[in-house]
Amino acid sequence: MSKQEFLDQLRAGLAGLPQQDINERLTFYSEMIDDRIEEGLTEEAAVAGMDSVDSIVSQTLSEIPLSKIVKERVSSKRSMPAWAIILIIIGAPVWIPLLLSFFIIILSFYVVIWSIVFALWATVVGIGLSSVASLAAGVILMCLGHGITGVLLISAFLVLVGLTILFVFLSIALTKAMAILTGVIASGIKRMFIRKEK
Amino acid sequence: MDVQLKRGLLDVCVLAAIKNDDSYGYKIIKDMKPYIEMSESTLYTILKRLEAARMLTVRSAEHEGRLRKYYRITDVGVKRIDDFKDEWKEIMSIYRFVTREDQGNE
Repeated sequence: MSKQEFLDQLRAGLAGLPQQDINERLTFYSEMIDDRIEEGLTEEAAVAGMDSVDSIVSQTLSEIPLSKIVKERVSSKRSMPAWAIILIIIGAPVWIPLLLSFFIIILSFYVVIWSIVFALWATVVGIGLSSVASLAAGVILMCLGHGITGVLLISAFLVLVGLTILFVFLSIALTKAMAILTGVIASGIKRMFIRKEK
Repeated sequence: MDVQLKRGLLDVCVLAAIKNDDSYGYKIIKDMKPYIEMSESTLYTILKRLEAARMLTVRSAEHEGRLRKYYRITDVGVKRIDDFKDEWKEIMSIYRFVTREDQGNE
């Protein structure tokens, strides 16, 4: 790939970001390639030594806050022709609820995800508390002379402790997975904004 | 190496690479290469972060008919290196604590 092709692909990949952010990155990578060529590498080899355009784009996306991307999209629309502005105003009753519901759907998705996590942890606490309660009840009953019921409750305690430990590990794994999922969704939304710009 | 640990180290390494002389992107990567590998996009992020933290300043100068960005360390940056050295003493004492049994067996 030539230097120009690399920079063109990068520019296309970053389209939708603030122009200043794009230009700064293009200047940086262009300088990097020039310095490699000056060192004696061929243009092809210099470009091949760089990170792939895809990985630069995803790293850039993860660094730029969503608010900045949205703001850029909104402000870049100012140069629209008059008819488009009129259409947007006339269409407001349609697109505002649509946009609103889009964000509400995303929000509810987050709520659902974290409710599952919350529910699992609540289960852990529940089982944990009942294990303590059955141990206490078992000991008290044994002291009062209800030996068999006491033993039964203490064995219930052992089962519950086992379950608690199992659920703690499950909950930790699920919490981590959900945190990753949340991140993936966030980066997905950012990508959506950028793709639309192309 | 642990990602978080490497991230912290890279910041200081970049500062160290420009400590004695102003330097430019490709030279920073080249100077660090024998010690720690770093990709261009990582360097870009770090330079931006250090600039925002006022640990370095940037200027463009002409080189071979094109512009090249040179990075210069600030007092804040020098202080960051000094802090790192102090922190490292603590880390070394923790290291000795962690490995004290291994050394006892040798």
